[in-house]
Amino acid sequence: MMRVVEIDKNICTGCRECAKVCPAYAIEGEQGQPQTINVDKCVMCGQCVQKCKSYVSIVSHGYEAYEKVKKERGIPDSVTEPLFAAHNVTHIEEVKKALADPTKVVMASAAPAVRTGLAEEFGYKLGTLSDGKMAAAFRALGFDYIYDVNFAADLTIMEEGSELIERVTTGKGKLPMFTSCCPAWVTFCERNYPELTDHLSSCKSPQQMQGAVQKTFGAEINGLKKKDIFNVSVMPCTCKEYECSREEMKASGERDIDVVITTRELAWLIKDAGIDFKKLKDEKYDNPLGDFTGAAEIFGVTGGVMEAALRTGYELITKKSIPAVEIPAVRGGEGFRSADIKVGDLTLRVGVVSGLKHVVQVMEDLKAGKMKDYHFIEVMTCPVGCVSGGGQPKLLMDTDKELAYKNRTGITYKMDESLPQRKSHDNPSIKKIYKDYLKAPLGEKSHHLLHTHYVKGRAKTIND
Amino acid sequence: MTENMSCYVLCDPNKCTGCKACELACFAEHNKENNDVAYTVGTVTIPVTPKLYLTKTEKYCMPVQCKHCEDAPCLNACKKHAIYRDENKQVIVDQSKCIGCKDCVMACPFGAISILPVSDNGAVLLQKDKECVKAASKCDLCTGIEGGPACVRVCPNEALRLVDLNEEQLAKSIATANSLYDSRLS
Repeated sequence: MMRVVEIDKNICTGCRECAKVCPAYAIEGEQGQPQTINVDKCVMCGQCVQKCKSYVSIVSHGYEAYEKVKKERGIPDSVTEPLFAAHNVTHIEEVKKALADPTKVVMASAAPAVRTGLAEEFGYKLGTLSDGKMAAAFRALGFDYIYDVNFAADLTIMEEGSELIERVTTGKGKLPMFTSCCPAWVTFCERNYPELTDHLSSCKSPQQMQGAVQKTFGAEINGLKKKDIFNVSVMPCTCKEYECSREEMKASGERDIDVVITTRELAWLIKDAGIDFKKLKDEKYDNPLGDFTGAAEIFGVTGGVMEAALRTGYELITKKSIPAVEIPAVRGGEGFRSADIKVGDLTLRVGVVSGLKHVVQVMEDLKAGKMKDYHFIEVMTCPVGCVSGGGQPKLLMDTDKELAYKNRTGITYKMDESLPQRKSHDNPSIKKIYKDYLKAPLGEKSHHLLHTHYVKGRAKTIND
Repeated sequence: MTENMSCYVLCDPNKCTGCKACELACFAEHNKENNDVAYTVGTVTIPVTPKLYLTKTEKYCMPVQCKHCEDAPCLNACKKHAIYRDENKQVIVDQSKCIGCKDCVMACPFGAISILPVSDNGAVLLQKDKECVKAASKCDLCTGIEGGPACVRVCPNEALRLVDLNEEQLAKSIATANSLYDSRLS
């Protein structure tokens, strides 16, 4: 039985504030009574975890209760922060065990949004970029290879961009095509719109592509056996642990990603090891599987996958350089927005959904045949994309939410601007992996390693 | 006619859902300076010690906080002169003078005071016997904190409001006078 997001009945006050933010209407219970999560509805996005303020109190629960809850949840003793009723199940001990195991080669890779939030847990201002410090922290923790999910974000663009072009130009495959990098959205689609899963891109998420590549190509270039590799993925997301444990995510023959921890849990790991984060000097990621472009970094914000795909799609279709690399028309906040993007002679009608609640209308329109003029739609479950994910640093006061979202988003775009390459197909290591290993996007090897299939009507979250 | 009464925060139990956002915000705001609490949960290294207390019964819930009494029983009961009235008439605890004798807790008719651990520099202060230092903890109306009472600011249901009776009573008197005056005319 797999547990991902839970509500502790002993701590829950039954305020149901979490139910107000749950996009899947999965939180059930009477007002004033402890709540339960309906696991058949829950998409594990963790927005309830972010919202919950019902903490274990030394006044009403007692000191022992705090220590007991910490132990029950497998949280390291070193953690001193408040614990709340709604929480995600931690996998930090598995990471510590792997790092201590001399037979394991432990590889780290983190999502783009993680580096926009991590520093907040060490007292930095909201939305402080800690890219280099994070690499240094991984090394200090004893990870053997410091790779980056951003590499696979670039890879995703190569595959998903090519898939879009194929669907648009050859008529093979359903349109509009939907992005598939958000596991909460994919699960929601499989369960609630099983007849529409053909609209999902067959691309795996960057996390799963990274895992598959690290255990195959990564093993090959480093002279390692894949069974010795232990892949740790750090995510701003609580649903990613569920994604990596899906039966089909074993392209390498082993489980491609062994364990996922959230941004918050990475902060615990750093503190637990006694590392002084503030004193860490910026370090670099290992290449080639840690090399990335600005297009990959913007995966962390709503509209980012769309913008990254358009940057590459434009050049693949027209064979010309895109006139403006930044595409403000697809940027924005919570809700559904659409834009018409000129790509040579083609006009692509694209949509961006931010906040899973907003996808329902889109899907109902799709069923009713009202979305025929759309080509590509990005869907992110969390309010403004992954920077606002359920595994990100949790705010003590929700009045800071707007500022947190704004700053984390701002720093993401700033990082994109600062990078030498801003289009996925310009990433030299992406060029190299296609030349040496994958051969071509949508090719046989890509199909095997980087693409997946969907389970129509995936009923049970937790038991499958 | 009243003037210069202290203010206090009042809860509408019909709106309160018992989420404890007020308690957490209260704690966060009061521990930014001395205990390095920043924006996120991960920056907290000490037990959460609020200055208002969510009170939940079978029928309702609401936070209970200090009413900043005009004839404050806690202030009158404190033998260490650790409770004083500031220039705004607010009743404030000086934790550095408090010895945790609990006289104020006994004296308070509302249960608005708790004796809680005191932290400094991100750690709970300890006595010689390793027992933590404890002192009276109650609402100070976020005196000196920008934006006023944090509980009022963060309540997702607008259940809390800052009551200034100097203004409210005047407003009510005027409303009463107006209606009496109008009825005289008709």
